[in-house]
Amino acid sequence: MQSRFLRPPGALPENEFLATCIRCGKCVQACPYGTIKTASLLDGVTVMGTPVIYARDRPCYLCMKCPPVCPSGALKRGLKEKEQVRMGTAVIAKKECLAWQETLCRSCFDDCPLIGEAIIMDNELRPVVDDKKCVGCGICENVCPVDPAAVAVRPGGKG
Amino acid sequence: MRLKRLRTAAQIGTICLVILVPLANKKGFTFITGTLYSLAVGPVWITDPLIGVQTVLTTARLDAVLLLSLLIPVFLAFALGRVFCGWMCPQNTISEWADRVAAKLGITRLFRPQPRALPRTIVLAAVLTATPLVGFPLASLLSAPGLISAQAGKYVVEGVVGLEAGLIGLIVVVEFFLVRRAWCNYLCPVGGFLGLFRLKGTLKVVFAEDAEHVCGKCRACVDACGLGLDPLGGNLYPLCHNCGDCVGVCEALKERGKPLSFRF
Repeated sequence: MQSRFLRPPGALPENEFLATCIRCGKCVQACPYGTIKTASLLDGVTVMGTPVIYARDRPCYLCMKCPPVCPSGALKRGLKEKEQVRMGTAVIAKKECLAWQETLCRSCFDDCPLIGEAIIMDNELRPVVDDKKCVGCGICENVCPVDPAAVAVRPGGKG
Repeated sequence: MRLKRLRTAAQIGTICLVILVPLANKKGFTFITGTLYSLAVGPVWITDPLIGVQTVLTTARLDAVLLLSLLIPVFLAFALGRVFCGWMCPQNTISEWADRVAAKLGITRLFRPQPRALPRTIVLAAVLTATPLVGFPLASLLSAPGLISAQAGKYVVEGVVGLEAGLIGLIVVVEFFLVRRAWCNYLCPVGGFLGLFRLKGTLKVVFAEDAEHVCGKCRACVDACGLGLDPLGGNLYPLCHNCGDCVGVCEALKERGKPLSFRF
């Protein structure tokens, strides 16, 4: 199932995540950036109380403090390396992206925590996402100067 | 009334915990984290038994960390009964205080059934049966203490609460006008589940008269019971959550030889 929501790092695939997460809110409290929000009843009965990330408002800075606090294992507690996170994948909307429209901009490239790996600049100085390296933290989506953002994380649900 | 003061302190303490933990976490103090669904005090993890069991049902997996975290509350329930409900649960505190206000205002409820354990047992059975079928943790949605503390956390982080907080308001309104103490007595799956952990030696309120312990038939204990139970009639469990109010007033009225007492 394609997730509607970006989940914290280490989250199980969406269906399994919804079954395992006990909606306790410990990850929400563990997040020092206030990145992790709590879905409410208005988002749907099945997702109510689950942790969600709205990367455009505030992305995940990959501090990795939330996976180890999860009491039910809905977030893989053993996940420590930020490179192994797979919350989703950034997708660049080339028609909106300044660099792809021949205006110089490398905001996403500059702020990507996996510097020069998840987002690379091609030989015409346009950002390209490496699907295999991108962890889906959403920092690129957060810093994109275009409104709405020309790069957005597609929730992947692979942890 | 020492018992009552102790209990009020525990109740207010729990409410403070629910509010201060997310605030402290936000400031970077993380010795205690979590909510009344699942709490971590340093390295000690404590999870509501119903929430843990429901997760086993939805995932068909036994997670060692989760199961270990159920030990303390299960042990507590076996030893002291449902003291979580009577001494800590913020929903019980809210309902109890609202009930006192209702009593002061002289409100008579539309329905006045005799408290019985059966409806709550049926609700619990329905929740546990439906949980693996729907595939998501139904009990988490219906845990009033969990909702209250998780919503307190949400408020601290986001400055808003979810619509689901309305359940708490709904409970209060229903209990105020329709059925006295409807949630705790007839519906709450968390309390229903905790009530299952009962042995012969579990702490209980005992009414026992003999030559030195004589009941003055003042019925102060009946009036004192916040759940509307009758400590003189016996057969209190599993509805009684060992709050001790009846034992407390009995003590207050008869310095020596009170017939109501806590016993293992």
